[in-house]
Amino acid sequence: MTATLSAAPAFMAGMAEAYAAVPEGPQWLAAARAAALASFETQGAPTSRREDWRFTPIEAIASISYRCAGRPERRGAGAGKALCPLAFHQIVLENGRLSRERSVLSGLPKGVTVQGMAEALADSPDALRAFLEKVPKGLPFAALAAGLFRDGVFIRLGRGVRLDRPIHILESSAPDASRGPAMAHLRSLIVLEPGAEAEVVEESLGEPGAPFWSNALIEVELGENSGLKHYRLQREAHEGVRSLATLVRVGRHARYESHVFTLGGALVRKDLRVTLDGEGAHCVLNGLSLQHGREIVDHHTLVSHEAIGGTTRQLYKAVLDEKSRFVFDGLIAVRPGAQKTDAQVYNRNLLLSEDASVNTNPEFKIYADDVSCKHGGTIGQLSPEALFYLRSRGIGEGEARRLLVYAFGSEMVERVKLEPLRVALAAALRARMPEAAEAA
Amino acid sequence: MLKIKGLHATVGGKAILKGLDLEVKAGAVHAIMGPNGSGKSTLSYVLAGREGYAVTEGSATYQGADLLAMAPEVRAREGVFLAFQYPVEIPGVSNKYFLKAAYNAQRKHRGEPEMDAGAFLKFIKEKAKLVEMDPSFLNRSVNEGFSGGEKKRNEILQLAVLEPKLALLDETDSGLDIDALKIVANGINKLRHPARAVVLVTHYQRLLDYIVPDFVHVLSGGRIVKSGGKELALQLEKEGYGWIEDQSGTARVTV
Repeated sequence: MTATLSAAPAFMAGMAEAYAAVPEGPQWLAAARAAALASFETQGAPTSRREDWRFTPIEAIASISYRCAGRPERRGAGAGKALCPLAFHQIVLENGRLSRERSVLSGLPKGVTVQGMAEALADSPDALRAFLEKVPKGLPFAALAAGLFRDGVFIRLGRGVRLDRPIHILESSAPDASRGPAMAHLRSLIVLEPGAEAEVVEESLGEPGAPFWSNALIEVELGENSGLKHYRLQREAHEGVRSLATLVRVGRHARYESHVFTLGGALVRKDLRVTLDGEGAHCVLNGLSLQHGREIVDHHTLVSHEAIGGTTRQLYKAVLDEKSRFVFDGLIAVRPGAQKTDAQVYNRNLLLSEDASVNTNPEFKIYADDVSCKHGGTIGQLSPEALFYLRSRGIGEGEARRLLVYAFGSEMVERVKLEPLRVALAAALRARMPEAAEAA
Repeated sequence: MLKIKGLHATVGGKAILKGLDLEVKAGAVHAIMGPNGSGKSTLSYVLAGREGYAVTEGSATYQGADLLAMAPEVRAREGVFLAFQYPVEIPGVSNKYFLKAAYNAQRKHRGEPEMDAGAFLKFIKEKAKLVEMDPSFLNRSVNEGFSGGEKKRNEILQLAVLEPKLALLDETDSGLDIDALKIVANGINKLRHPARAVVLVTHYQRLLDYIVPDFVHVLSGGRIVKSGGKELALQLEKEGYGWIEDQSGTARVTV
């Protein structure tokens, strides 16, 4: 089966080639890929005319002819730069493909599978069929990923299994031999069977040298009473682009906790959709974005309360310097019958420059009558009163600014309970103190 | 220690201080009293270096140097301390960390080694006793969620830690019940020292029952219009500010 990809923006040029290079697989997968690409075709590449892309200029993608990334030119690109401590189980992807030599997966407990997606498809395609046959709706880039992925990560924990240590997924991207603009499409899947518990640190790390577009689709399936803590660290190179769609289904009394730290990239677009479809399902969504230059970060989140007694706690923060831009669209939909829903969505932004901008839209759509829902969005600057107060105690102006910016961001770091990671993030937060904070 | 001569200052283009003179010597406690709008808080902020307070004329000399030319943090490191009328809440910065940063900035300025975290913790726990503050407040964010009295006590704790040469206390008694007032006054009295000067800015005489000043000045219309000993405060308490203003020829202000 084939799908045709009509040429539109420059970035479409490499798509036919990418499709031709897709590895052979079972018939059902070929059909799923074609269906996904057809879905992309129907929607077209996102433009500012689309409601959900209105504030996010995609020139960084649309104006560049990306080609499928080869192996990194330099071996071990990004090695040693990961924020996440090394003592965890580790699976490494380089330019969208599994690196066996860099992955450390010996010693996984019984009942735990951690594999590259290509490998998993070769081993047991039928186990994946129910998941990979689905085509994500309303997400054009996720549809592209579903059509064009070569690899990704597959994690499965059997019933009641608890991981001894977190799993670290490192996705590194670096210039290949062509040193031209390169792209990688990935598809990953995390399945926790009932009662299983895991911590997964997903870290995306870009090396400078050429524009790199990493486009990923991740699905998370949480069975009854299971719990996933999902830490996501993101540091692209300054010309790097990342589009990422995460689709999560949370079962009865299961818990999904997400912590997203965005620490760099020309354009970062993240779509997170969480469906709470079992009674008492719970999700916590935390986010912190630290931006400078002309970086654009866009978070679109949608939490759908579909069953009784679900809870959502969402707080995203952004610190914006220079000409950066942050977009937050956080919708919580409470479906009919989702009584006793208890949901909160907040977005707080700190502007350090007059040229930085924020579009924030925390929102509810409620179709049930016995619910507690709170939301709020704020955009502020460093408080002159607080700055003067600190200076009046002998603390220099630059240090006072850094202290206040750090205090704003550290709230999100403090929520990370995984201690070595929290320490690394605190250091990263300090290291990424905005330039404007140096004015003294 | 502090010599203010003919000080004029404007806030948002409006003249507030109009030729203020004041001299403060080491070891003395001065009280500056005056009705609302007389320029008391403006004087405090001008001396501490707050933005938006423009000095248009006159001078303030501190230990022989031009105080007004110094950045706020330099004034603080040189030993000037302002206890705020409305202390600022700073979420996310622990009181302990804040105090340590302030203390070490001062030590560094003097060319002394910084104090490490362990030694500092011991040091501030002792200081906290002075203002009868529960040590748990040291771990909380600066002033966040503190009651009015707790905020004022926290100001005095900072005063005790930084041991300034010149302490300016802006309406430190406002919003305090009598017990809190005693604790705060007691904290200040313990810090009285021959090498330290204290300037209390206050509307009411009440605080002066607990901290007995050496000098009392009346600020009205942006100038010191009368100076005297502690008995002047009692007279003001009895008779209000009206007679002072009539005498000085400025417009009468009701209090």
